[in-house]
This record gives sequence, C-alpha cells and structure tokens, in this order.
Amino acid sequence: MTPQINPFIIFFASIITSNMVLSNFLGMCSFISVSNEFKTASGLGKAVTLVMVFTTVINYVVYQYVVLPLGLEYLRYVVFIIVIAASVQIIELAMDRFLPELYIKLGIFLPLITVNCAILGISLFMVIRNYNFWQSLLFGLGSGLGWWLAISTLAAIREKTGKSKIPQGLVGPGLTFIIIGLMALAFMGFSGIFVIQ
Amino acid sequence: MKKGYLYTIVFIAVVSIVFSGVLAAVNAAYKSRIERNVLNAEKASVLYSMGIEADDAVAVFNERVTQKDIEGIYLYSAVNDEGVMVYSIPFEGSGLWGTIRGYISVDQGLSTIKGIAFTEQNETPGLGGRIEEEWYKEQFRGIGIDKPLVYGEDSGIDAITGATSTSNAILQIMNNFIDTTLKELEEADGK
Amino acid sequence: MGNSLKTVFYRNLWGENPVIRQILGICSALAVTNRTVNSLVMGVGLMFVTAFSSLTLSALREHIPDRIRMIVQTLVIAAYVIIVDIFIKANLPEISKALGPYVGLIITNCIIMGRAEAFARKNPPVISFFDGLFAGIGYTVILLGIALIREILGFGTIFGFSINFIDFTKWTIMVVPPGAFFMIAIFIWIASGIQNRRLKKKEAK
Repeated sequence: MTPQINPFIIFFASIITSNMVLSNFLGMCSFISVSNEFKTASGLGKAVTLVMVFTTVINYVVYQYVVLPLGLEYLRYVVFIIVIAASVQIIELAMDRFLPELYIKLGIFLPLITVNCAILGISLFMVIRNYNFWQSLLFGLGSGLGWWLAISTLAAIREKTGKSKIPQGLVGPGLTFIIIGLMALAFMGFSGIFVIQ
Repeated sequence: MKKGYLYTIVFIAVVSIVFSGVLAAVNAAYKSRIERNVLNAEKASVLYSMGIEADDAVAVFNERVTQKDIEGIYLYSAVNDEGVMVYSIPFEGSGLWGTIRGYISVDQGLSTIKGIAFTEQNETPGLGGRIEEEWYKEQFRGIGIDKPLVYGEDSGIDAITGATSTSNAILQIMNNFIDTTLKELEEADGK
Repeated sequence: MGNSLKTVFYRNLWGENPVIRQILGICSALAVTNRTVNSLVMGVGLMFVTAFSSLTLSALREHIPDRIRMIVQTLVIAAYVIIVDIFIKANLPEISKALGPYVGLIITNCIIMGRAEAFARKNPPVISFFDGLFAGIGYTVILLGIALIREILGFGTIFGFSINFIDFTKWTIMVVPPGAFFMIAIFIWIASGIQNRRLKKKEAK
C-alpha cells in the first residue's frame, strides 16, 4: 500500500513553492525569449497551461494502458514526445476550426510549445513519481498555472526595467536572470505554508 | 525537398523500425545490469543505515546480515561496526512529491536510532532531494527515541534550507515510524 | 564565415556559445549544477547526443522529406537520449538517481535541435559531427564553471572532495535554485562585457 498524497497539495505546491521554472528550471528557453512584453507572455502562459493539462492526461492514459502493458518503458521518451507533438497539432487544428478568435491570439505560440521542456518534464515527473490519474491531472494544471504566473510576472517586471540605466553588459539576458533569481527567492519564501499529512 | 506521400510514409517507417531495433538491443543488453544495480543499491542502503562501512556491499551484506520475520514484520539484523546488534527496518511515507522509501536502523533495545537511508525518493533535485546527502542522514545517528523528533538546536538536527516541506515530511515519517512500527515490534518482541 | 574545423570550434565555444551567448539549453543546465560530478555526466551525455544526432541527421539530410523533418529530428534525438539514459542507469546508478528526469529532458534541449536545424541540415556529416561535439563542449564548460563555483561556495567540496582546510561559512544560496540564476547572470555579464570591450577596440582602430 503506497501512501497517497493529496492531489490538492500537489496542485498548490506546483504553482508556488515548486514552480516549474523557478525551482525545476523547466521551460527556460521560451521563458527568457518570450518575456519582454506582458501581453505576449501571458498569451504563451495560457497556451502552455492548456497544452500541459491536455498532454498530461493523454500521456497518463497512453503510459498506463499502452506502454506499461507492452513493457516498453524504455521507449517512453519517444512515446511522450510524439504524443506532445501530435496533441499540439490537434489543438491547433481544433482551435482554428472552433475558436478562431482564440486561435489568432494563441495560435502563433503553439508550435513553440512542442519543444518546451516543461511539457515533457511534467510527463516524466508524473511517471517517476507514480502519480495516479487525479494527482497527474492536478499536477499538470498546477504546473501550467505556475508557469503562466511566473512568465507574466517576469514580463511585467521586465517592461518596467526596460527603461532603467544598467551596466551595458547586463542588458538583455543578464538582467533577466537576476530578476528570475530574485523571483525564485521570493517564491521560496512560501515553502513553509504546506503541512504534509 | 519534395517527395511523394508514399516515400514519406516508407521513410518514417524505416527510421522508426531501425531506431526501435537499436534501442531494443541496447535495452536488452543492459537490462539485467540495471536490475542488479537496483538490488545492490538496496543492500548498500541497509548497510549504511546500520552503520556498516563496506566497499563491496553485496559481499558484506551476504556475510553479516540476516533476515528475520518477527510476527509479520520483516527486518534485517546484524552486528554493526561499533559491535552493536542493530535492526534495520524498511519504512515508507509521503514526501512533498511522492513516496519516500528506505530503512531505519535501531538498536536491539529499540531506544536509539542508529541510522537512516533512503532507497526511493522523488523530491526536487537540489532542494528536497538533498535528504540523500551524508550530512543530513548522519544527523540521525544515535538519536534517542524517548520523545518525538524535532528540528532545532536542542535536538541537533537541522532541516534543509529551501526544502521545509520535505524536511518536515521526513520527521513526520520517522515519528510515525517510532509510534507505530516500533511499537508493534516491541509488542511482538515481548511475546 | 567558412566552416573549417577551427571556425566551428571557435564559434561554438565562444562566439556563439550556446549557453552564455545564445541563451539556449538552460533548462537542464541549471538544475544539476550544484554538484560538479552531475554536471560533468550531464555535459558528456549532451555532447554524445548532439554529436551523433548531428552526424546522423546530416548523413540523412538529402533523404528526409521536408514535411516530416521535425518529427525525424525528434525521433533521432530521442533515440540517442534513450541510449545515454540506459547507459547511465547501468553504469552510474547513483548519478542516474541524482539526475532524475533531467537526462530525458535532453530531448527538448534547444541546443541539439538548434544545431540540427542551423548546421547539420546544410553541411556534410563529418563537420556536422564536430559542430555538434563542440556545441556540447561549449555547454559543458559553462556548466562546469557554474557547478564548480556553486559546489565550492555551497558545500565546500570539489568533485565531492572536501576542502575543509579553508574554513568558511557555506553559502546556502548557492545550493538552492536562485543561486544558479545569479551565477548564470554573472557569467553572461562577464561574457558580454568582454565582447563589448572587443567591439569598442575594433571601432577605435
């Protein structure tokens, strides 16, 4: 009998204290490159949350009912990445067809997401930690929201710092990393708020 | 370049088959070795929790450790490097992210913790994952279990900075272990 | 710029260093850098994957149909990553445990995809192989640099060996994630500082 962790603790922890970007360093590439404008950043955040929930659920089902029974655990990376690429395509098509307005807003971000490490990372963590369905779902959702929160905050701060006078060598990525470091420190401050039962 | 659909399909099929073949071969070649590693790591953990130093964990384990079944509680027993008879008992509990498993060793009188070792944990690497570090595990050697464990200067046990939840989870698991598993063992032993 | 071995080497290690100049592949770069040994294994793993996936993709470049290019690239990369993963699990079980899912995440490391797209697609296999290898080295060098500083200040050890003879208070901040962010910021700062000074000198001439 393995003790089960309350899915809601996973949900809140993955938004704040164990934020995907700030404590697990996942999804850094787009986190840096698409964070100079609040609106775009927030758009990408939404798209990532959507894809994350979608792919976590599909990967969970595929892993439990196809990969495990066939004994193909060692191929799971390939399986996950194909599932992710395919889901992104499907979401793109479905959005274009049924929600054209949303597609115009978020569509450009979708291809970027396939190579976002955070998405694959969630699926890998889910497998390593042996999560059940609800835990996986809330973990995916929480991590997505956490990513969205982090990138929006970063973009908002960067918009303000854009006009400040800073050493020339720090312009761009240098300063961005310092801001992320400070954000990570701030998020760590929440780490005492959960009581594990 | 432009190629027909048929070519595309054949191409992807060939690529997939070739690579799955290579991977299956590599996997088959290393499978038994990986499984053996897991088993050896388990034995090394038992020895570590007992306080037995060993270069070749498997040989030492087979030589010195005996498995016992006391009223349904499976445990390992051995005389450790200090010449003390110790019991190493498996435990299990939830961390922040997933199940944490390992072994806790106690002396024969069930009054002192002799050591702790983890065999499975999925805490955040670099944060909660640091429970696997020596300094953290070594703190628990020789701690009396007459009262619940707490962090702080009085007890001499430090939590991990930035990983409050995981640190608390470990104490919770250990206190729970003292309250239930050890009690059961005491009763079973008394019979 | 030509594509001789020398220019490829220079470009990947300094001019277009993937980590500090192109800000790629940070995902996996930071998580494992509080221990030098882990970073080294991670770096060597990445070197292997970039080098061989560049080689393979470059050899196949005339035959890969355009519309499935990305999928083929991903498949090839994933295959090599799985080999690395199995190898580490079999031979270095302790480190495999410490690296956790980050080995698998090499697949989505932008450096590999970047080299495949930007170089291996247009160049012959041998030079692509070295291009991939040098990109991997460029990544590893930075990783090790960060890890060395973090490990010395945070744990007081180098490659796990204690340096207790110098007594100082350990910097906990170096062990936790924010430390990694600050370190990489400093590295980028130094690198662009040097680059800016060189540019100025050139202009002055």
